[in-house]
Amino acid sequence: MSIKRETIKKISHEIVDQVVEDELLERFKSCYGCGTCSGGCPSGRRTAMRTREIIRQAIVGLTDELLTSDLLWLCSTCYTCYERCPRDVPTTDIIIKLRNIAAHKGFLRGPHIAVCKFLINTGHGVPLDHEKNPNWMNLRKSLKLAPIPPTVHSFPEALKEVQTIIKELKFDELIGYGEEVQKEMAKKDKEMAPKKIQVLEEQLKKLKSEVEKK
Amino acid sequence: MTSETVSTGPSQGAGAPGPEPKVGVFLCHCGINIAGVINMDKLEAYAKTLPNVVKVVQYKFMCSDIGQNLIKDDIKNGVVNRVVVAACSPRMHEPTFRKVLKAADMNQFLFEQANIREHNSWVHMNQQDKALEIAQDHVRIAVAKASNLEPLDVMTVKVKPEALVIGAGVAGINVAKDLANQNFKTYLVEKSLTIGGHMAQLDKTFPTMDCSACIITPEMAAVGQHPNIQIISNAEVTDISGYVGNFHVTINKKPHYVDQDKCNSCGGCVDICPVITENEFDEGMKERKAIYIPFPQAIPNKYTIDIDHCIQCGLCKSVCEPHAIDFDDKPKKIELDVGTIIAATGYDAYDPTKYSPYGFGRFENVITGLQMERELSSFGPTMGKPVRPSDGKAPHSIAFLQCVGSRNCQPGMHAYCSRVCCMYAMKQARQYKEKHPEADIYVLYMDIRAFGKGYEEFYEIAAREYGITFIRGRASEIYENPANKNVIIRSEDTLLKRPVELEVEMVVLSVGIEPRADIQNLSRMIGVAQTADGFLMEAHPKLRPVDTLSDGIFVAGAVQGPKDIPDAVAQAKGAASAAASLMARGEVEIEPYFSVINQAACSRCLSCIDLCPYGAIGFDKLGDKVTINEAQCKGCGTCAAACPCGAISQNHFRERQIFAMIDTAIVANGR
Repeated sequence: MSIKRETIKKISHEIVDQVVEDELLERFKSCYGCGTCSGGCPSGRRTAMRTREIIRQAIVGLTDELLTSDLLWLCSTCYTCYERCPRDVPTTDIIIKLRNIAAHKGFLRGPHIAVCKFLINTGHGVPLDHEKNPNWMNLRKSLKLAPIPPTVHSFPEALKEVQTIIKELKFDELIGYGEEVQKEMAKKDKEMAPKKIQVLEEQLKKLKSEVEKK
Repeated sequence: MTSETVSTGPSQGAGAPGPEPKVGVFLCHCGINIAGVINMDKLEAYAKTLPNVVKVVQYKFMCSDIGQNLIKDDIKNGVVNRVVVAACSPRMHEPTFRKVLKAADMNQFLFEQANIREHNSWVHMNQQDKALEIAQDHVRIAVAKASNLEPLDVMTVKVKPEALVIGAGVAGINVAKDLANQNFKTYLVEKSLTIGGHMAQLDKTFPTMDCSACIITPEMAAVGQHPNIQIISNAEVTDISGYVGNFHVTINKKPHYVDQDKCNSCGGCVDICPVITENEFDEGMKERKAIYIPFPQAIPNKYTIDIDHCIQCGLCKSVCEPHAIDFDDKPKKIELDVGTIIAATGYDAYDPTKYSPYGFGRFENVITGLQMERELSSFGPTMGKPVRPSDGKAPHSIAFLQCVGSRNCQPGMHAYCSRVCCMYAMKQARQYKEKHPEADIYVLYMDIRAFGKGYEEFYEIAAREYGITFIRGRASEIYENPANKNVIIRSEDTLLKRPVELEVEMVVLSVGIEPRADIQNLSRMIGVAQTADGFLMEAHPKLRPVDTLSDGIFVAGAVQGPKDIPDAVAQAKGAASAAASLMARGEVEIEPYFSVINQAACSRCLSCIDLCPYGAIGFDKLGDKVTINEAQCKGCGTCAAACPCGAISQNHFRERQIFAMIDTAIVANGR
């Protein structure tokens, strides 16, 4: 824990102005800081997520702090706060918008990049991973279903379409996963794979021994 | 009724106790207010043991119709001839129960109320056993007094259908207008040169943003032209004597040094006058000449010489065509007789020089809300284009600091909320944003109190549409950047728990409302006490907000407490209505609690005359006797206590009655 506390010396409207460019988010500045959002936040029950704090940081223009913070990514977008806000501030949509701004500035979390990578490589945010785990395929077969569901997984040409769209939108570049990076990452992944397995196995061993002790 | 009428005692059964007292004790539960604390069955059992008590009844709400009928029936059936009600404060329901006695054809003064709610159950709710003991004391003492009560007659006095309104701001103007429209002759006394008060200084009004001058100046003109209203400006009330319906008022009209009848307001004198001094109307932000009108729409619209600054060069006299200048003008004494008086003297703005951390008076670019208001005004010192004092340029950033002088328990500050500052700061912020959309505007607040109709919406729009930044935190200190005269504010964003240090080009202190500096004089003159905050006290904070405990005297506007314009006008209309109902009836009943003199015992020492705070006692030399004016006497009892011969006694608080209470309070402690 830091014993320092930064003083606000300049109040910038830059980020608020950027958000309210979207007409649907126009009520942003109506926030009077009541805390209804944070009070009912299911994520905030377990995590450091503080919706009111995010909105307030944006209003006084603590831009860097806000956009680099983990807080922004702890929202599960359940829309509870959005429904309850007495000033009708579209909180969840603002958070999503702020995430977009953060992403464009290069502030993305590792796990999000990983999900995006899945999307680029497989057309799915949560791919089937059937090579590693065939059990569910057997289950489908036993129900007389096609082993792989009729999603992008079954249509390689659809995957190409997805990837074309992503490239057109420069989404791969946005998440720092352009073609070259992609290749490099794939290489690294391959190199790292045995090490990762080793680490996982060690963790598993540790857990098992703990369980046995108990 | 005049001071010659002398009462020698109660009209019936003087001195002698009436028929054998049969006291009925009526115990009120007041829902659970009383019964939730005090064991009413035990109290009933106890009351039954008291001397003279013939009947004890308990009921949930004695003040309700059913409760009242319980009392009425027992009186009509001859069961009781004295009534004790143990309930709330007599200030709440004594009038109610007196009416019950009256309706049952019994003298209404054979009634005593024991206050077992405010004086007992509400303050002892955690000590129920002891509360019961105290309730027993209360009831026993009340029964002792009731057993010794005498019937009294209510007197009536005539009410002169003319009113005096002190103060001609928006409240006073509305009182005068309403009374005059009901055909009551109304005198509107104003201390300054023009009527209109603070409202005339304001540019726009929240939350509708309509122009203050456009609202108040037609009102001022209407009052000025009204056949039933006589404006006495530049004048102060110096003395008030008399009593409800018959007040005698002395007014000191200060000299104008310009004949107000001859002056045709041509303004020739102003151009030639060589003296330049500060204009109070513009909060010292603009100059005026020594001969002047406070502002163009002033009413009365006649010139006056500020004799303190005038050098008496005589130039004005030389150009004045109607020969109105008169350096020998003298103060005039005006005497009036009126039936009712309405105090509407308004407020003073808090003087922030008294609060050093905000540097008002030291830092050039720190101004008050009223100064900002004048700057925003189209006929103000900057013609409606606010500038910062150090360089005369429009500031690119302004911070409004809230609660200056208010919500502060330090000495010289005010514990209360001034109620208008949040709104006027937001209004000024919005007005400035309209003129300079690029400017950064901050409001440093503790709580935003936007309580009125349309106010919260006004606040929301200020934040959302106007982009005014609200920072929740009170400014702790401010200092000046010597390089550019900017002002640096230190505070905290309490929503983020983060210190704030902001440099702005100008600071506006949202100063609060405080009682007029001379309110004590007014309070003494009209016999109306001040509340702890210094404002005048209303008779009841909820049910009698325009009345005072001095009959015939009413309050309107900020003299009673901080108020915005709609509230001040509402109270003004209420006060006018209350005063009118007194005057329309033409007569008023007064309490027969006055003192009476036993002429045979009086030694003519005259000591009572000096002691009487109401000037109700006089000495009739011809008749060689001391007389008490019953209407003027407020029944304070000072004379009765002081009379060395024991010749004075006070109705309803006679020695026999008081001693009966004391005896039973101290002797019969053996419950």
